[in-house]
Amino acid sequence: MRDAIQDEIIKEFDGLEWFDKYGLLISFGKVLEPMDAEFKTEENAISGCQSKVWINSLVNDGKLVFSLDSDAMITKGIISLLMKVINNRSPQEILDLDLYFIDDIGLKSNLSPARSNGLASIISRIREIAKEKAD
Amino acid sequence: MTGFANDFPILAQEVYGRRLVYLDNAATTQKPDCVIDAISDFYRKDNSNIHRGVHYLSEVASEKYEEARKKVSDFIGAPEQSEVTFTSGTTGSINQVARSLEPTLKGNEVLVTGVEHHSNIVPWQLAGAKLRAIQVDDDCNLLLDSMEFTDKTRLVAITHVSNVLGCINEIREVVKIAKEHDVPVLVDAAQSIQHIPIDVKDIGCDFLAFSGHKMYASTGVGVLYTSERFSDVMPAIGGGGMVEKVELEKTTFLKPPLRFEAGTPDIAGAISIGSAIDYLQKIGMDKVKKHEHDVYSYARDKLMEMDIVRIYGTADEMCGAISFNLEDIHHYDAGLILDKMGVAVRTGHHCAQPLMRFLGVEGTVRASFALYNTKEDVDMLVEGIQKVEMIHN
Repeated sequence: MRDAIQDEIIKEFDGLEWFDKYGLLISFGKVLEPMDAEFKTEENAISGCQSKVWINSLVNDGKLVFSLDSDAMITKGIISLLMKVINNRSPQEILDLDLYFIDDIGLKSNLSPARSNGLASIISRIREIAKEKAD
Repeated sequence: MTGFANDFPILAQEVYGRRLVYLDNAATTQKPDCVIDAISDFYRKDNSNIHRGVHYLSEVASEKYEEARKKVSDFIGAPEQSEVTFTSGTTGSINQVARSLEPTLKGNEVLVTGVEHHSNIVPWQLAGAKLRAIQVDDDCNLLLDSMEFTDKTRLVAITHVSNVLGCINEIREVVKIAKEHDVPVLVDAAQSIQHIPIDVKDIGCDFLAFSGHKMYASTGVGVLYTSERFSDVMPAIGGGGMVEKVELEKTTFLKPPLRFEAGTPDIAGAISIGSAIDYLQKIGMDKVKKHEHDVYSYARDKLMEMDIVRIYGTADEMCGAISFNLEDIHHYDAGLILDKMGVAVRTGHHCAQPLMRFLGVEGTVRASFALYNTKEDVDMLVEGIQKVEMIHN
């Protein structure tokens, strides 16, 4: 199923060369609100990433709101897009969501398996949290 | 392609439409045609198990395997061929020593350095030993005065060349000091065997470990040199091919090297090491060392000229790897963009987390060199770093 937010992101990346894509991700990363230091705990950290990623979530009016942060700027850019797509949805909506934008903006094919492993572990943690909240 | 690169078919390809510049040699090296041929020839013509059959192929395979052992022993100056054992790699070699010496090590101490990678830390911990590190100064030179021996020190296990910084440790001095305390020394030569000539007699170490794949041979095979004085230690792994007489009550073992090679070894892998040694010797290790030194020094100079680059480790003697970070740019971001420029580097902690803590960083970008790298490769790295800076800002 098509999703308006993801389609919007895909449009933004459409036709860009790789260096412009990375440039764009870096610019998204730079404006991403940093996570409060108190949430950057071992418990909130995601392993399997070459860069560090922290994830925190809260439920607001039945909708899940994630905040993520990373020490690497390109990763920060990617997670800022992820947050745009997944936030303010019900846990079940998140579980049902097909994150096709990652492939469509050329990130999946541009990242080697080991690196996309990092992205894959972020998404699998998001799904785990959504599943917990949905139960 | 120039120089030795022509011998390495993988380097002829383009990645993302650019010439591949492979600077991840500390992780693994590429293979020359002659090594690839040796592996394929073995499976096409000679494949058979060794030291078991009376038939023709088994004889040929056994002979080639033992010939590879002779090449290794000549290459590292081992007095006896029986001192050379084929293992699964550096990690396998170190684990073999740790398991064999476990009764001695348990509850006692092993001296390492502050620049070790995990393969020279974890096996000793698993054997129940406590680790103490020989300190390094800010330039990452070993502080030999900090070598402290107690009545519990059973072994010194030290890397020859740091896989992160490229600093060359003064292993001869370390062995000399350890000998005064009658403590044996293991040298981890994973990052030196391919760069500088090594002679175990000259070094005076008791064990020397290295991998095939970091010296242009295949993965999954390596070498452990064990000096004759440890020839009667108990083998770490038991099974077929290493026994003299087996009874349900008791087993007696063959003499080294076979007693340390239980089961069917990586025969083609061992032969590939022999072939890689032929290749290196045809060029001459002194020539390899000189060529690499030229490229390495050029790289250091070029990187040092860049304001954005901060290099870690400036020991007196260096080879192989250069670790650095770019000001305000995460190593992972740098690695991703360099990759797109066709430049393969490693980023992260390089399996040396204690060293990262010492340097006060989460990780670094590491460019590591082999004999096929050239000054043009360094120029491409520099161009890549400029691109990283440009995109980032």
